[in-house]
Amino acid sequence: MKNRNAILFILFSAGLATLPPFLNAYWVDVLNSIGIYAILGLSLNLIVGHTGLFNLGHAAFFAIGAYTAAILNTTFGIPILWLLPVSALAAGLFAAVVARPIVHLRGDYLCIVTIGVGEIVRIALVNDIFGITGGANGIFDISRPSVFGLIIRTPYEFFYLIWFFLGVTIVLFHFLENSRFGRALNYLREDEVAAEGSGIPTARYKLGVFALGAAWAGMVGLIFASKMTIIAPESFSFWESVLMFTLIILGGAGSIPGVLLGAALIVGIPEVFRDLANARMLVFGAAMVVMMIFRTEGIIPQRPRVYRIEAIPGEERP
Amino acid sequence: MKRVALFAVGLLLVASTAMAAGPIKIGLMAPLTGAWASEGQEMKQVLELLSADLNARGGLLGQKVEVITEDDGGDPKTAALAAQRLTTKGVAAVIGTYGSSVTEASQNIYNESRIIQIANGSTAVRLSEKGLKYFFRTCPRDDEQGRVAAQTIQKMKAKNVAILHDNTTYAKGLAAEAKALLKGVKIVFFDALTPGERDYTAILTKLKAAKPDVVFFTGYYPEAGLLLRQKMQMKWNVPFIGGDAQNNPDLIKIAGKEAANGFYFLSTPLPKDLPTKESKAFVDTYKKKYRNAPSSIYALLAGDGFRVITAAIKEKKSVDPDVLAAYLKKGFKDDRGLTGRIAFNAKGDRVGELYRVYKVDAKGNFILQK
Repeated sequence: MKNRNAILFILFSAGLATLPPFLNAYWVDVLNSIGIYAILGLSLNLIVGHTGLFNLGHAAFFAIGAYTAAILNTTFGIPILWLLPVSALAAGLFAAVVARPIVHLRGDYLCIVTIGVGEIVRIALVNDIFGITGGANGIFDISRPSVFGLIIRTPYEFFYLIWFFLGVTIVLFHFLENSRFGRALNYLREDEVAAEGSGIPTARYKLGVFALGAAWAGMVGLIFASKMTIIAPESFSFWESVLMFTLIILGGAGSIPGVLLGAALIVGIPEVFRDLANARMLVFGAAMVVMMIFRTEGIIPQRPRVYRIEAIPGEERP
Repeated sequence: MKRVALFAVGLLLVASTAMAAGPIKIGLMAPLTGAWASEGQEMKQVLELLSADLNARGGLLGQKVEVITEDDGGDPKTAALAAQRLTTKGVAAVIGTYGSSVTEASQNIYNESRIIQIANGSTAVRLSEKGLKYFFRTCPRDDEQGRVAAQTIQKMKAKNVAILHDNTTYAKGLAAEAKALLKGVKIVFFDALTPGERDYTAILTKLKAAKPDVVFFTGYYPEAGLLLRQKMQMKWNVPFIGGDAQNNPDLIKIAGKEAANGFYFLSTPLPKDLPTKESKAFVDTYKKKYRNAPSSIYALLAGDGFRVITAAIKEKKSVDPDVLAAYLKKGFKDDRGLTGRIAFNAKGDRVGELYRVYKVDAKGNFILQK
């Protein structure tokens, strides 16, 4: 079972890696967009899918990572990929500070506060806070990433950077899911009181998962900034948070393949229906409605954990 | 020998089909969805009308012109995808887009693919300061308005000038630009108000104490309207000049007709005041087709982008971007643009003055000043 998943993962990655030469720059760029949203979705999935905390302000963490990288890169000229830990740390710390007073909120209440956080960050960016965010015009001239002297410039080159990062994310998050930490998060989601009663420090775990999810989004922010070479507040609007949230719900909360599929659909549908011009978002909306009627748990929901009872002495196997 | 001849004939055939290959494609990148959707829709309508007209008159170089529209959503990320997609469609040039940061996200993509881009609403100065070879714009730059404002104030022969802004990037920039350019006058007041308030008498009292001959307010129309109304209530009679963010009929509603009377503001010409015969005719056909006049000057500036590039292709009989870019920068002149005379400088910026001075009359109409 475990081996089969690993083989599937390797085959799928190998298949994707050979894909770009057969596609034009546009479709490769669509794949890049899907990759970026998939990583964002996976990072939010830790919070929303695994822990059951409604977070509709994830774009704020994404923005903080992007702006941290952009500001340090443009003012001090630090190579952008070196800033990966800095972006992660900035976003993670911010999340920890913001989440500390609000993690005990439940359901919709937490959701509303996170919407507020997202909007505050965006408006602060528009208002050129501390005179470093460039206001509504944003920050420009962010340098391209370079790996071993090779400057990553075209969509084809970015494809490998983004999907490599996505692959690493999937592997790490897969192990996280099956770790003590991951199991504790699921317990939290299912029954917080019982979790607390079994000795799980719920506040610390919630804070931890917020910081981890945010740090990951911060790193994606850095990749996004270096890909666009310009960032502006409108890239981090409330709608972005909604997209990340919907792709999880659509694909299947708590499931890695579900989130990947969700990202592919959320980014892919409007692009496939580009020829409809004005009506393209209509198809998107209709698809969402149909989904919510016929498959509320998502397309690929999380599978329940199965633990085989084997060789317990003195008992018959069920 | 026969083979060679056959090969040659075959080659000729291929070459000729390649020459006559389909229509000349012009891309339009516009915000069809999102916050600026009304701008984008109008841009699309204007280009549809212009291309239909051009095709009815026989097209371009004996071929039809086809406009390929892509939605940029008013967002840099979507714009990058839209630009990427247009580059794969074999367009000769791209018109658009509206927002500056949106345009910026697409600039490099077009430049690397050697496609001419003519932006229509992106006024940020830096866009044309990067030395991109294939970038043009039909709209003025942000610093152009400051220049016109300074000129207007100097023409009014004011000695003491007060400048008021609201701390937004745009308004502060315009205020600073005008201040730097005002020579031989005394700036007696330079400060900001807080936008969104209901009562500005405190700042008006401060302004009045500075005894200016004229006040230049660079912010937006809601504050301008309140300032005018409260200035009248204070019985203070000083001319006010506003920037182009005050070009909005709601200004009159907020200030009241009496208070707004005699207010000056700078703006690109309103569609009703367009200078040329061609533009009047165009506005009429537009009205006939879509039942209302184009409300935004930026849609007409997109139309000018289309006219410019098709005129250049016709003149040079080529769609080669190097030839066209060189020609647009040097030698190109169009006196009959929808928004007036069009020519470009070496940076791809539009030369010539597009900003006009408007004055509000006693009935609350915006009257173009000559």
